[in-house]
Amino acid sequence: MQRSGYGQSPPLHHPVPQHVSTVPQLRSPPPPTSQPHSGYDGSPYQQQGRAPSGNMFGQYGNFINDPAAQLASQFGQTAFKQGQEYLEQNVNRFVSVSALKHYFNVTNSYVINKLYLVLFPWRHKPWSRKQTVGPGGQEGWYLPPRDDINSPDMYIPVMSLVTYIFLQTLIAGLRGQFQPELFGYIATTALVVVIVEILGLKLGCYLLSISNESQLLDLVAYSGYKFVGVIVTISIAEIVNGGKGTGGVIGWTVFGYTFFANALFLMRSLKYVLLPENNNNAQGPMQTMPTEGRAKRSQRLQFLFFYAYIVQLFFMWILSRP
Amino acid sequence: MLIFGNLIYVSCLLINAIAILSEDRFLARINFSPSSYDPAFGQSADASVQAKIMNLIASVRTLMRPLLILVNTLIIIYELVLG
Repeated sequence: MQRSGYGQSPPLHHPVPQHVSTVPQLRSPPPPTSQPHSGYDGSPYQQQGRAPSGNMFGQYGNFINDPAAQLASQFGQTAFKQGQEYLEQNVNRFVSVSALKHYFNVTNSYVINKLYLVLFPWRHKPWSRKQTVGPGGQEGWYLPPRDDINSPDMYIPVMSLVTYIFLQTLIAGLRGQFQPELFGYIATTALVVVIVEILGLKLGCYLLSISNESQLLDLVAYSGYKFVGVIVTISIAEIVNGGKGTGGVIGWTVFGYTFFANALFLMRSLKYVLLPENNNNAQGPMQTMPTEGRAKRSQRLQFLFFYAYIVQLFFMWILSRP
Repeated sequence: MLIFGNLIYVSCLLINAIAILSEDRFLARINFSPSSYDPAFGQSADASVQAKIMNLIASVRTLMRPLLILVNTLIIIYELVLG
């Protein structure tokens, strides 16, 4: 319980201490990711400051006996709270955090099985994603990656992107070519590859009038799975060659194998995203169903094939250069 | 961050190329201009690929022309000043 340091008319300041006392108690646990230090700094500082000054001002027990510093700390707390609200509002406009949480909802067994699936997709049978049935009997949303092996997640792409950056810099360091700017250069290259790929995919979807029911983050996740193959290629080629990155027979063999595995994985997974399924809604416009005949379907199949093979080959080659 | 400068140059040049295409001399020759294409059906989505590309080119040109003027001027000044 804190009273203000003025002391001359304590009953007039009753609303103010209530405001000051509740805000720090709410502040210290909730933001574990954004501001851990300010929360930890607040609580021991208050506890340390309260004990020695409690002897002098018995009933007040405030943590600091300088009114100017107390004003400054109160101002800092309100400023921090406003800044956090501003950040939440602005970030929530660009990135929906709850949708991101769905993609990071993974388990260990999911990660291991998915990695195995990316590198060896030839035996896997059902590739469709499971959906939960909503309360009204309609089709609900897709199951999170925890329950469905075919659901794309963002954990593996993000982790493999970071691993790829570190691996490239490590290999450059082993070769004696390390510079600190190399981190930024490789990170920029990888991000540009992902962005250009997503732009090309979006352009293709617009041109072929593929209505994208699944979100943008699904496509980002699928585009990030090739980093797993690139990591395997680079590491095996580096172990075997010891010198240049993907030179020699073994390097290109591993590259070709991971490229084909990635292509098959993408073809099977994106078939449900890009090609038109038999939609169950009867209220769709009736004249589009006959016109979406073989020509459109073959166009989309060609586009999917082009994307899964040629585009991926180009980008995987770019990523596995030393 | 050497790659950002190159990316900006490449994208600026590509969009310049789209904006420069003369409509009546070039696009009409290969039946790509919006004027020579008659929309018999009045739908915007589910149209053919050619209609979509034409719409895309037309919209890019109308949107990007003032922006392109600005970006080109900036790049010219940057190249003149910094060599």
